[in-house]
Amino acid sequence: MTLDSKGRAMAIWLVGPVFLGVAAWLATSSTSAPIPLRPASDVPRESIRPGAWRTPLKHANEAKVNGAVRPCSECHRLFGTPPEENRTLIQHKDIVLAHGINKRCLNCHYGADRDKLVLHDGTLIDFNETPRLCSNCHGTVYRDWQMGVHGKTMGSWDASSGTQQRLACNECHDPHAPRYKPLEPLPGPETLRMGDQRREEEPSKQHAPLRRWSMPSHDEPSKEEPKKENPS
Amino acid sequence: MSLRIWEGKSAGGGSDAPEMTRRSFLRTSTAVVGGMTAIAAALSPLKDLNPSEEFSLEQFIQKHYKEMTPRDMEIALDRIRREVELRYRVRPEIRDVRAKAGVEFVYALNLSRCIGCRRCVHACVNENNQSRSPEIQYIRVLEMPRGTMDMEKGDHHYDRPTVPDASHFYMPVQCHQCANPPCVKVCPVEATWQDADGITVIDYDWCIGCRYCEAACPYWARRFNFTKPEVPADRVNPDMSYLSNRPRPKGVVEKCHFCLHRTREGRLPACLEACPTGARKFGNVLDPESEVSQILKHKRVFVLKEEVGTLPRFFYYFDERYPNSIDPEAKQIALSLGYEGGADGMFGASRGGGVA
Repeated sequence: MTLDSKGRAMAIWLVGPVFLGVAAWLATSSTSAPIPLRPASDVPRESIRPGAWRTPLKHANEAKVNGAVRPCSECHRLFGTPPEENRTLIQHKDIVLAHGINKRCLNCHYGADRDKLVLHDGTLIDFNETPRLCSNCHGTVYRDWQMGVHGKTMGSWDASSGTQQRLACNECHDPHAPRYKPLEPLPGPETLRMGDQRREEEPSKQHAPLRRWSMPSHDEPSKEEPKKENPS
Repeated sequence: MSLRIWEGKSAGGGSDAPEMTRRSFLRTSTAVVGGMTAIAAALSPLKDLNPSEEFSLEQFIQKHYKEMTPRDMEIALDRIRREVELRYRVRPEIRDVRAKAGVEFVYALNLSRCIGCRRCVHACVNENNQSRSPEIQYIRVLEMPRGTMDMEKGDHHYDRPTVPDASHFYMPVQCHQCANPPCVKVCPVEATWQDADGITVIDYDWCIGCRYCEAACPYWARRFNFTKPEVPADRVNPDMSYLSNRPRPKGVVEKCHFCLHRTREGRLPACLEACPTGARKFGNVLDPESEVSQILKHKRVFVLKEEVGTLPRFFYYFDERYPNSIDPEAKQIALSLGYEGGADGMFGASRGGGVA
C-alpha cells in the first residue's frame, strides 16, 4: 500500500491530534470505578471474647441468692432440702434442671454440708473440683478431657510452659442443664471471591460484590457462571 | 511504508541534517506535545497515591525475607511501624518471630462439637487485621448436609436464627499448612514458603500478586487483596509480626498462618480461644503428650481431600457416639425441634454428640 506524498503529509498531521485525543480520554476517563462494597462492619468484641464460655461458681461462698452473695451453708443451715425430684423451687428459681435422668439435687450436692459436693462413693469435694464429680457418670468424656481431647484449653499449647489451663466442665456446660443451647451465628461472608453457590435459585448477586458491580442490571448471568465459582 | 516526521533529505541517507521547515516544525511539535500529554495523562492515576503511604525507597530496595540480616529486618520493621502509626494512629508491637526448633504445629478440629457459630471466623478477622471492606476471611464454615462428605453440597452462606441445625453438620475450612504445599510450588518469586515448624508463610513485601498460589490451593485457603484493605483504626490489633498480621498492601495474597505471632511464642491461635465449644485443638505434634498427638493416637481422624496428596497438618476428627437414644432429655429436645423419630432418628443419622 502506498500513499502519495500529499496523503502521507495528511497522515503525519494526524499523529499529534490523535495523541491529544488519547490524552484527553485518559485524563477524563475514571481511573477507579467505584465498587459498591458493604461498608466495613465489625461484630461486637463481646461476641468473640476468648476464654471460658460461662463463669461458674468456683466456691460455695460465691452463691448468689436474691442479689446477695453468701455462702450456701448460711441459709441451708436453717433450710433443709426435701429430696424428691421435680419439686417446684421456692428459691434458686433461675435454675432449670435439665440434666437427663439426673434429676435430684442431692445426687451432686451434699445435704449435710451445702458448701460441698459429693461423689458417688461419699467423698466430699469443693465446688472447684467439678470434673471429678462429672466423671462419676461421664467416664469416656472425662478420659478424653484428661488427654485434652474433649474440652477447651487456654493459655498455651505447650503443657510444659506452666501457663496451660484446661477449662473445667462447668466453664462450658451449665451443670444443671449441660446441653449446649443453640447459638445465634455471626454474619456470613461477603468476600470478593466467595460467590453464591446456591445455584438452584435465581443466580443471586447478593454475595458477589464484584460481579454485582460488573454486570448491567438487565443482563442476567449465564447459568454456567456460578459453577466456576465453586470452591472445591 | 514508513511515516516520516522529518521531511526532506534525511530519507536519502547521508549525514546531512534534515531541513527544517515551518510546516515540519509545527507537525513535529504537535506530535511531540501530544505524545507527552498522552503519557502524562496515562500516568495521572499515580497522583492519587499517597507517597508517604504507598511507596518508599526502603521498601523498594528491601531484600527477600531469607536474605535479610538482623539489621535489614530492623529497618523494615521500623518502616512498617511508621506506616502503621501514620495510617491508624496506633503504635504496633511488631517483631519478627522465627520458628522454634523441635516444634511442628498441627491443628485438629472436632466435627462432633462444631456448631457453626462463626465465632472463629470473626475472632480471626480481628486478630489478623483482615480487611473489613471488602471482607477478607481466612476461615470458611461449610454447612454440610448430614451423611455426605461431598464438598459441593457445602454452603458457607447459611443464615439461620440459631445454629446448629439438626440436619446439618459444620465444617470449618482454613489453610491446612500442607507438608506438600502446592501453593509454594507455583510461586514464581518464592514469596511464600514452608517454615521449619510447618507453617506456610508469605512475605507480603515480596508477593507480586500473580495469584498462582490462590489457584493452586485445593482448599481455597488463600485470599487476594483486590483493594486496599480497610481496617477500622479502633479495631487494629497492635500485636503484630512481619510474616503474619501486619497490615497488608493492596495486590498481595494472604492466608491463615496459625496465628504465628501468638503460637511461636507459646500462645494459642485466636480462632481456638474464641471457640465456645472447644472443637478446636492445636499443638506440637512432635510432643507425644500434646493434645493433638493424643487426638491422632486415639480418635478417628481424617484429612480433607487426602487424594490430592497435599499432606495437610489440619485434621478433622469426631467423637464416638454417646448413648443419646437412651437419654430422655435428648429425645425431648429432638421432639421439640420437630425431628421425627425422636432421639433415635436424630442422632442415629451420622453424628455423635449430645451428652457431654
